[in-house]
Order: sequence, then C-alpha cells, then structure tokens
Amino acid sequence: MTETAQPDIVYRPRGRLPGTRPGAHRGREAGGLGTFRDQVPFLRMPDARRIDVRATLRDPFEGTVVRRFEARTPVEVWALLDFSASMRFTGEADRMALASAFCVGLAASATRIGDAFGLIGCDETVRDDVFLAPSRAPTRAAEVARRLADAACTGHGAAGMVAATRRLAGRPKIVFLLSDFRWPEALITEVFAALGRHDLVPVLLGDAAEAEGLPDWGLLELDDLEGAGRRLVFMRPALRRRWIAREAARIETLRRLATAHGRPPFRVAGRFDPDAVSRHLLGA
Amino acid sequence: MIDALVRFSANHPALLWLLPLALLPLLTSAQRRVPVAALAAAPPDGPSRAISALLRVAGIVAIAGLILALAGPYRRGETLTRTGIGAQVSILIDRSGSMNETFAGRQPSGAEESKAAASRRLLAAFVGSRAHDQFAVTAFSTAPMLVIPMTDRHAAVRAAIAAIDRPGLDYTNIARGLAMALSQFGPASPATSRALLLVSDGAAVIDPRVQDTLRAAFTRLRPNLYWLFLRTKGSPSISDRPAGEDTPQAAPERHLDLFFKSLRTPYRAFEAEGAEAVAEAIAQIERLERDPIPYTEQRPRRDLAGFAYAASLVGLVVLVAAKLGEADLRRTRRSAAPVLAIASDPARHAA
Repeated sequence: MTETAQPDIVYRPRGRLPGTRPGAHRGREAGGLGTFRDQVPFLRMPDARRIDVRATLRDPFEGTVVRRFEARTPVEVWALLDFSASMRFTGEADRMALASAFCVGLAASATRIGDAFGLIGCDETVRDDVFLAPSRAPTRAAEVARRLADAACTGHGAAGMVAATRRLAGRPKIVFLLSDFRWPEALITEVFAALGRHDLVPVLLGDAAEAEGLPDWGLLELDDLEGAGRRLVFMRPALRRRWIAREAARIETLRRLATAHGRPPFRVAGRFDPDAVSRHLLGA
Repeated sequence: MIDALVRFSANHPALLWLLPLALLPLLTSAQRRVPVAALAAAPPDGPSRAISALLRVAGIVAIAGLILALAGPYRRGETLTRTGIGAQVSILIDRSGSMNETFAGRQPSGAEESKAAASRRLLAAFVGSRAHDQFAVTAFSTAPMLVIPMTDRHAAVRAAIAAIDRPGLDYTNIARGLAMALSQFGPASPATSRALLLVSDGAAVIDPRVQDTLRAAFTRLRPNLYWLFLRTKGSPSISDRPAGEDTPQAAPERHLDLFFKSLRTPYRAFEAEGAEAVAEAIAQIERLERDPIPYTEQRPRRDLAGFAYAASLVGLVVLVAAKLGEADLRRTRRSAAPVLAIASDPARHAA
C-alpha cells in the first residue's frame, strides 16, 4: 500500500492509560523508564537504581527520594466504519475510498508504534466480513485495505453501531467513528454515549458536492442511496442557501453532540490528509 | 357527452391498448439520477414539487399523445338535422326559344336583356337571401331537364340559375316539366313549407290524362304554387278570354291558369311585363314563404391526429427543457473545492 508514502497519523490518547505492557503512550502506572513523573520516598518505591541523589541531599529530613517515571503503554486503536449505503456517495471523491484510505493510514500509523488496530464495519448489523480483531502485526494495514476493497455498502442505516459498541467494552481505547452521520439524532446520541468511556474521535466524511459545491441553477433528480426514493429538486440560489444552511445546522448538531462526549468531529472532505488529522487530534 | 364520445374513433384502435404505457412517467423519470447520501439533506421546497409534478404530467401527455396520434384518431362525419326559417323551393324554368327574347318580343340588342337573363339575375338574388332555403332547379322545353336536385348548397343553385340564359330551344312542354319539378320535393316533414315557382313566358296544353296525374301529385305534396308569367308585350294575358273559341289550344295561358286554380292548393300568378315587375313578384314570393324548415348540416370527418401530435409536442418540449436544465453534483463548482479544503484546514494554506 501507499502508507509508506504518507505521513503517519499522530494521536495522543486522552488521559493516562492503565496497563503494564510497554507501549507508546502515557500510562497511568509509574515505571522505571520514560518521562519523569514525580519523586516519592524510597520506602514507597524501593528501587535503588532510581535514587535521586540531588533531591536526597536536599531533603532536610534526610529521607531518601526515588524518581518515578511514567510508564508507556500501548492503546488499542479501533475504527468503527459505517457501511450503510449512503457511504457509496461519490461527489468530489469516492466516500468509501476516502474512508478506506483513512483506515489504512490509521492502521499503518498504529501498528508502526506498536498499537493494535481493530476494525468493525456496521450497517444494520455488525458486518462480520469487515470485522478485524485488534492486532499489532505490521501486515495489518494491508489486511485492512484488502477487507475494505472487498466489502460492499448495502445496508440501510447504521443501527448496528450500537451492537458494535458492545464489542469495545473493556479498557479505554481510541475509537475513530467514520461515518457521514446521516443518522437519526437519537442514534448518534446513543452511540456517542456508549463510546463515552473511550477516546472517541468522530470522523465526518463529507463532500463539497453536498453543500458548497451545489449548483446555483438546474434540475436535480436526487436518488437516495439508502432507498428512500427519488425527488426532483429545482436548484436556485435561494434554495442553495437554504440547503447549505441546513447542512451547516446538521454539522453543528453533530459537533454539539460529539463535543459533549469528547472530541469535536473531524471532517474529511475531498481528500484524506493525515497531517490534518494529526493536527486535529493533538490540538484537541 | 356520451354521444360526443361515441363519435370519436381511430384508424388503428388496437394501438390504443398501448395507452397504459402513458403511466410510465409515474414510475420512472428520464432525468439523470443524482445519487445522494440522504434525501433529507435537501430542504423541502414547493416549486420543486410543482416542477416534479409538471414533468410527470408532461411525460404522460407526451406518451399518450404519441400513442393517440399513431392510432389515428378522428371524429366521425355526421348529418345534423336542424330547424331554420325557409322553404323548399322547386324552381321550374321555361327554356323554350322565346325566353331568349326581350319582353318586347325581339332578340336582345345593346343594353336590352332577354327574359331569361332578367329572370336569371333576379332569381340569383332570391337564392342567396336566406340561409336555410332549399332549392331544386328544373328546366323544361320539349323535355324536362333536371338541373339540380333539392339542395341547400346555394352556390350550386346559383350556378344552375346562371346557366338558364343559355339559348333556349324548341317548344314548351309544361306538363312533363311540372311533373319533374314536383318530383324534386322528395320526402320531408309535413310541416315543411314547399313552393313551386314556375317561370315561363307561355303555356301549353296539358293533356287531360296527364292532368289527373299532376292533380294527384299536387294533392299529395300541397306546394304553394307561384307562376311567374313573363308576358311579352302584346301577347295575351292570363285572364284574357280569346276572341274566338275558348279552348285550351286557343288560349293555353288562360287554361293553364284555370287548371292551377282548380288544384285546391295555394296558388298565385304574377304577370310580369318587365324586369321590375319580375323583381316585385319575387320579393312577394320571398315574403310569403316564411316557415320553419328542417335542414340538414353535413359535418365532415375530422382528423384529430394533429391535436394529439401537438399535445405530445408540448409534453416533449417541456421534457427536453427539463433535460437541458439538468445539473449534476459532481461536475459543478470544481473551483469551490480548494476553498473548502482550506476552510477545513487553515494550516495547509501556509504549506
């Protein structure tokens, strides 16, 4: 795959992670290596190798002080991918190709720093053909690419997301939720709430053609990809403004819900840019 | 309403079975489909719904119009019977040689007009004056000539009358002329007013045997009889008793008048000694013959395929306009895309 050509997605999990295995992220445990965390009395951590000589000499009560360092632990990175039929939308870019590029890039970035990457695809149910249990194997990115290339978006809706959240029980993980979020607001709230204990990153797969790229004039025979029928729309500047305002309101609602449960959504439109994702994740 | 529908028909009615195809626009649309993630993204819009309905109707009209036009629709021709004011007038015109002479009994020269020409001129005006009069024209000399049967085509009648000033020939055989003129009336409702207008400048003896036949015909048909007697100056009048023996051979005019009077049908004789007198007589006849008359009106078969084609053309024009007005999400606003990318990612602008 082309993941070698692109920069990695750099992510930093929210908070400190439990776990004793060595990894790339700040752990809750204090260990012997890594970033300096604090100093504790020798009796609390009797590790003679970490005696802080200067602090010990400075101590008026002549106690012995030991340095503690942050343990680095890995985090499981999951991508929850919406496989409803609306993901087949192709405007400026193929939405599924965009999602696939995102997942592959994420898998490559995660496995490179020793994090396990898992993938769950959902339409009305959890799609087992696109379920990948977390793995740190370096072949993971290629495997993700292959799975996603074979999978077809056929479902009508994303109700399976609720079931998918149950597979993510356990230790906190980073969960990238990739979808166009054309869901009922209740479902969005439910899924966000269910993923609340994880570090949830909603990734909104948008497209300029759905809002800013709308034509000023003309007749559009809209055909709903999820089978909701067809509708003729007579585009004109007034309707275009209303349409864009409606889209903006939808995204604003999503932002409000997402921010209440963690991070604001990241919008991918047109082209997948790993650096932009990194900036979004580190800036949050 | 049902009657009006019954009159419609088609050359190829079997093609009309295809008419349900006209409902296809309800199922599908010719517009290019633009796949979108969710219909709900588009705000509800009244004009769009109206245009959508209009396009469906246009599609139905276009298909239905073409199918109808191919089936070759037409409205059957029909004969309507109506009632107007007028009469059935059978005109019996003397074509004997003497009609070519003037009222003075000479060959016409210069500005003078013959009896035939004067009667032609005046009768022609009489024919066109009322729309629903029906006319038949019969000429007679030695033998009767059917010029035109009973008709309401006044142009044809005028043409027939225009032909009566051709030089006449031979003698006056009035009995056979009368018989043919009577036979022109044909069947009609009893209420119809009938008039027999005899234009002659002389008379002849009617055989007593033929007299009975004529009498029977007059009794059956009961026409109003008008005799326009174009009297040459100096010739005996209708009412003149001859000096000698009062026989039909000696005074045929007087005896014909007596025969007509004996028919017990309304009868008037006009003795005209000039064109003005003829005009006056004709005006009088026109005033007398005012009764309701049933007349028929022919409506020809009418081809309706043109209307069907026109309707489908209207539908097709609307559809083509909609097709030309199509837009697509993908091809438009390419230039807007970079702007969006910058908006979502301010740092890339610097890079």
